[in-house]
Amino acid sequence: MRLELEMVHIKGIQFSDRTEIVDGEIRINRDELQDLLEKDIRFSKVDLALARPGEDCRIVQVHDVIEPRAKTGGNGEDFPGALGKNRMAGQGSTRVLRGAAVVLSDCNEKGLYPTREPNGEIIDMIGPAAEQGIYGKTFNLVVMPRPADRVNPQDYRVALKIAGLKAAAYLAGADQDSTPDAVEVYELPSLNEPAQGLEHLPRVVYIFQMLSMQWEPIPGEPVLYGTNIEGIVPTILHPNEVLDGAVLNSYRSICMETYVIQNHPMIKELYRQHGKEIHFAGTIITTAHNNPPEFERTANIAANLAKWVLSADGAILTKAGGGAPEVTLSQTARRCEELGIKTTIALVPMTADVRDPRSEASIIFNMPELNAIVSMGNPSVAPLELPAVGKVIGRAVPMPNGSLISDAHVRRSAAIKGILCQMGSSKFKAVRY
Amino acid sequence: MQKKSLRIVHYLNQFFGGVGGEDKAHIEPQVIEGAVGPGMAVQNVLGEQGTVVATVICGDNTFAEKIEETAGEVLELIRPFQPDAVIAGPAFAAGRYGIACGAVCKAVQEQFSIPTATGMNEENPGMDLFREYTYIVKTPKTGIGMVDAVSKMVSIVTRLADGQRVGKPSEEGYFSRGLMTNDLSAQTGAERAVAMLLDKLKGKPFESEISLPQYDRVEPAPKIQDMGSATVALITDGGLVPTGNPDKIESVGATKFGAYSIEGVDGLHPDDYEVYHIGYDPIFVHEDPNRLVPVDVLRDLEKEGAIGKLHNKFYTTAGAVCIVENIRRIGQAIADELKAEGVSCAILTST
Repeated sequence: MRLELEMVHIKGIQFSDRTEIVDGEIRINRDELQDLLEKDIRFSKVDLALARPGEDCRIVQVHDVIEPRAKTGGNGEDFPGALGKNRMAGQGSTRVLRGAAVVLSDCNEKGLYPTREPNGEIIDMIGPAAEQGIYGKTFNLVVMPRPADRVNPQDYRVALKIAGLKAAAYLAGADQDSTPDAVEVYELPSLNEPAQGLEHLPRVVYIFQMLSMQWEPIPGEPVLYGTNIEGIVPTILHPNEVLDGAVLNSYRSICMETYVIQNHPMIKELYRQHGKEIHFAGTIITTAHNNPPEFERTANIAANLAKWVLSADGAILTKAGGGAPEVTLSQTARRCEELGIKTTIALVPMTADVRDPRSEASIIFNMPELNAIVSMGNPSVAPLELPAVGKVIGRAVPMPNGSLISDAHVRRSAAIKGILCQMGSSKFKAVRY
Repeated sequence: MQKKSLRIVHYLNQFFGGVGGEDKAHIEPQVIEGAVGPGMAVQNVLGEQGTVVATVICGDNTFAEKIEETAGEVLELIRPFQPDAVIAGPAFAAGRYGIACGAVCKAVQEQFSIPTATGMNEENPGMDLFREYTYIVKTPKTGIGMVDAVSKMVSIVTRLADGQRVGKPSEEGYFSRGLMTNDLSAQTGAERAVAMLLDKLKGKPFESEISLPQYDRVEPAPKIQDMGSATVALITDGGLVPTGNPDKIESVGATKFGAYSIEGVDGLHPDDYEVYHIGYDPIFVHEDPNRLVPVDVLRDLEKEGAIGKLHNKFYTTAGAVCIVENIRRIGQAIADELKAEGVSCAILTST
C-alpha cells in the first residue's frame, strides 16, 4: 500500500473573493465556507477567524487542531467514514497544506466534563507558548460554531469535529493541480510478501493507545473511520491509515491532537528507520480501559497480535490519557516482554513533586523488565509566563481569580495545545538537576 | 588572557584536619593557612587553576551541638580569605561530619554567594538535609573514593566560579538538588524511543530516562476475628465531597483530605455531594454517590449484624496525579484518626 503526501508549503492566509492557494498563500472565500459549515443544523451560526504567527492574539477553548488535507486523483475519500464514504485510507495521493491548521474552538457554554481551566486549552500566536508550541507557528483558520437551541453538548462536539474536517478538506481541496513543493512517500511490504532483503532486521511494531476510557466516550465521535472506538478490542492498522485520516483525536485525550496523529511522529520515525535498522512490521491500536480486568484483556490481545501475527521482535508503546492508561500501557508492555518482545515506552510522566529532589516516582508502574522508558517532559514543570495579548479568539470567560484570559498569567504547559505530546513530537525530556 | 587563579577554602573535621580522633571532636573552629590532609589532594587536582588558601577545621561534636552558631563562626573564619569557592569534606558516610559539611556549604552559599561542593555517601543524613543548597558529590562509604570525590568537587566549583553550567546529576555524579525542568533534547521523543529500542534489541547498553519507582511492601494488619463487632470506616480517593467542596480539596495533586459525617444517614443523597477529581468521568457517581462510597450497603450490613458499626464519618481525597509523599502523609493522618476513634477496619474505594 503506497501513500504519497503532496506538500504545499503555506506562507500566508487571508480572506478573499475566491478560495484558492496562490504562491503558498491560502485565500478563503469566507461566506462560501461559512455557508458550507452552517448547513449543519446542529449549529445556529459559524464564525471564522484567522490567526497568523506573530500576531498578538490568543485562541481559547481549543477542542482540536486538524491539518488541511484532501485526496487527489479522484479516487479517495477525505477522512473516510467521518466525512467521506468509508473507503480505505492510506493509499493514493493526498494534498497537504503544510504550515496551516484548522483550529476548532468550542463555543458551547455547557461544559461537558469538569475542566480545571475554564478557558480550556489555548494557543498563543506570540510569546513563549508560540515559541514552544506547534500551533503558534502555523497559519490558523479558527472555526467557532455556535450550538443551535436544544442541541446537547455531546452532539455539538461531534458536529464541531465534522466542521473541522469539512474546513480542512475544503481548504486543501482548493489546490488539486499545482505542483507540490515536496512529496513524501510511505510504503511498506505487505505481510505475505517475501521480506526482500529485510530478513536480518528486527521487526518492530508500534502499539498506539488511541483513546482513554477515563471519561465516557462521546457517542458518534468519529475516532476510527467515522465511529467511536470506545472499548474496541486491539486491532491491526496499516500505519498509512493513521497518517491518512482514518484516525482522529478523541475528546479528552491528553496532549494529543488530530494534527499530530496525521503527522504521527512515532510512525514517521519508524518509517525513517525502515529498511535501514528495522523492519517496521505494523501498528496495533488499543483503547485504555478503566477497569483492571479489561487492562489485562487488552494487554493480552495486543501482545498476542504483536507476537503471533506481526512476529514482532520489538515494540514501542505510547499512551493517550493519564493514570489508568499508564497501567494498561505497562501491562501491555509486560505481556510483550513475557512473549519475548523487547519494549520501549515513551510517555509524559505526570507525577513527581517537581521541586522536591526526594520525590522520585514519576510513573505508576515498576515492573523490572520495563527498563527502557523515554521521558517526554513533565507537565507540572516550569509553567510558562504568558504575556497579555491584544486579541482573544473564541469564547472567553473570566479566570477563577477574576482576571481576563487576555491578561498576562502563568499557565501549565499541558494547558497549552501543542507543547507537550504523548506521541513523541516534542524534544522535551524531564530532568531533575 | 590567563584565567584568574581561584582561591579555595577547604573545610575539614578534626580527624581529617589531623588534630585527633573522637577525643578531639569537641574542638572549636580554627583556621590554618594553606592545605591540610585531604586538602593536598584538592590542591593536586586544582593545579594551576587555583590555590587552597586556607583550611578551616572544626570538631564534629562542636558542630552537631550547635549547627547554626558554629556555621556562623566558620563563616567568619573564612571571610578574611575572600575565597572564590569553598569545598567541604568529603564526609563519606560520617553523619555528624556530613551535616557539618552541608551546613558550612549552605551558609557560604547564602552569605557569600560563591560556589560550594562537598561529598557524601547516599546514606549520610547530611545528604537529604543539604542536597538542595550545595552540590553533594556521590561517594562510597569510606575514604577509598577520596581522589575521585575531590576531582568531581573541584571540577564543579571551578566551572561554577567561571560562570559555566554544571551538567545533570547522573553525568556529574552528584545528588539531584531539586528542581525538575523540561530540558530540550537534540532529538524528539519519537527519535529517542526508536534509538533506545534499537540499543535494547542489539544488546547494547542504554539508559532509561525514567527510573522505576521503589514501592514499599506493607505488612497487612491481622484479620478481624469478629466482624460482627467491628467498626468499619469508608475511605475513598474518588474525590467525593459535599456540594461546593467546603474544604477546597484539590481535584488534582491533592494535599488534603476531608472527613464528613454520615451519622444517622441510611445512604448518600445525590443532591448533597459532588466529585472533584480530574481523572475520571463522575457521571455515574453524581447519579448515585453510594456507587463510590457505599454507605447504603454498609448500613444494611450494620442492621443485619454482619458488621458491628459503620463509622460515623467517611474520609475522602482526590487521587489524581498526587505526589506520593503527600498521599502517604494523608493516609497516615487518616489512619491515626481511625485508630484513635476505635475503628478496626476500613474499606477503601477507588476509581
